[in-house]
Amino acid sequence: MITVKLSDSEKRMLNGESGLVPRLCMEWLVEMCQIAGTDTIIELDGTGDFHTPQTCMTLNYAFTLKDLQEFTATGAKFAIPTFANKSPFNEQSPIHGYKGCDMCSHWGDTIGRFDDDAFHELAMHEDFYKELRKMGMLQTHSCASYLTATYLPTIGQHCSWNESSAVPYCNAVLGARTNIDGSFATCYLGKAPYYDMHVTENRRATVLVKSERLIKSDTEWDVFGFAVGEECGLAVPCLTGTAKPTTTQFCKLNSAMNTGGAVRMYHIPGSTPEAPDISAAFHGLQPVRTVTIDETALRATYDKLNYRTTDKVDMVYLGCPHMNAVELMLLARKLEGKHVKVPLWIMTAPWLYQVARDQGYLATFEAAGAKLFDGTCPAAMGGVPDYVNTIALDSAKQSYYITGCYPDEERKLDVCYGTRDDCIDAALTGTWRGEWK
Amino acid sequence: MEMSEKTIRLYGRTLYPGKVTAEALVSTKPLEGFANVNPAKGYTTERNHPLFKVPYTGKVLVYPSARGSGGFLMYGMGGEAKAAAFIHTENCPLNVAAAAAAHIPAMTEFDRDPVSVIATGDTVFVNADVGYIEITKK
Repeated sequence: MITVKLSDSEKRMLNGESGLVPRLCMEWLVEMCQIAGTDTIIELDGTGDFHTPQTCMTLNYAFTLKDLQEFTATGAKFAIPTFANKSPFNEQSPIHGYKGCDMCSHWGDTIGRFDDDAFHELAMHEDFYKELRKMGMLQTHSCASYLTATYLPTIGQHCSWNESSAVPYCNAVLGARTNIDGSFATCYLGKAPYYDMHVTENRRATVLVKSERLIKSDTEWDVFGFAVGEECGLAVPCLTGTAKPTTTQFCKLNSAMNTGGAVRMYHIPGSTPEAPDISAAFHGLQPVRTVTIDETALRATYDKLNYRTTDKVDMVYLGCPHMNAVELMLLARKLEGKHVKVPLWIMTAPWLYQVARDQGYLATFEAAGAKLFDGTCPAAMGGVPDYVNTIALDSAKQSYYITGCYPDEERKLDVCYGTRDDCIDAALTGTWRGEWK
Repeated sequence: MEMSEKTIRLYGRTLYPGKVTAEALVSTKPLEGFANVNPAKGYTTERNHPLFKVPYTGKVLVYPSARGSGGFLMYGMGGEAKAAAFIHTENCPLNVAAAAAAHIPAMTEFDRDPVSVIATGDTVFVNADVGYIEITKK
């Protein structure tokens, strides 16, 4: 195996001279370097996030709550600004609005009902967060924690994030650098394996993607993203033939591309910071290949994201990735004075829940019979309420994962996929009328 | 690559060391984790996938690449339900996370594409300690 270059202080941590938790973190880091094929550790100067309350990256270097309490008693802090990704594992309960969540949990140490107060209290794992907060953790609890973080890494900063939809936001949209390795260890140590997207050469576009249609609506970005992901796999694409994406559309694109493929970095000349033009995206070199996403490919992707045998909708889910404040505002505007016929779930980031209340959106949603939750999603929770045989949604990512929770013939789940307006219409009528346009 | 009458040997890079001989299960399509894998039962639950609900437990799992969520590392969880080894064509941080979680022999970046050389049912000797795999066709 590769011998990883270590400083004296890193060697001391590895030898256990700094205590149990630093030793476990260093052991994990060295192993990750060896598996990644790098002998170099990069010092992080950006931000980190990870799935809490434990590291959840691997169970092999886990520590107990007692270990953590003893560690924080020494005054230990995270080395970089550190945020919580998603609701606490394993239960992944909504943090606010849980009283309206009429379903059972699917995994975790404690199986129970999400709408049960006692279960909710257990699922919040406050005993762990009390310690993590001492270390500086900011409890954003969102797949899109960067939207509410109020503190973002800047161009060129090295980070350690952990969420497939967030990683391209860090790399492509912000121009900071991360692999999908955010963990307690990287955030405490402020160190990560130096490979893949930390390395300048690996950020070069190799595939030129041309779009036949001008990609401009949220759903077009979502469908286009999934198609690009399937086409490009692990490659770094340069996307052309699109309009300038909005923040909402960047989130759609990132989550869809990293579901259809493993696109952790891309360029949109004129929109993303490392590509003022096409030549910069390719670092002055020629594309390895060129791909055209034509009307047939978009249509085929839309059909792939629809997975249904009926037009009768039992539930509508919006908020994958978690909704930003503008999405909440626009949705409230559309639901004003309306009333849903089937349950409508709206998911946002926990730090926006109070904003939704203060702005009056929560009251509008509740008057319309819709439910606002935060911090989680059906795929993360492991399923949907028992009465749901068909779900309508507007996210390629959620569409593609939620059916994975229902692989058995005796309990299938159908998915109607389309625009947000299609989904609102389905919530108000109980019928799916969306189609590709 | 080396060939004898009975076996084909491919050289590659080790992610996680170890030696194991087991039957191959080959996917021509990338694998995806998170809600699209059931680590306790040891199979993919991704709709329309060629390995949908085909158990990988105890098999040398051969696939072109990983895609999707960081939950790909769930392929490395599941205790006894895990694969015997991971063999994949192209590497990315998702595979690194899965190999770290699994602690089973894992190799990538071979001198020939393992997905095109290996068929489901072939016997594969993975020697990740040295850096090669040996395939005996069924």
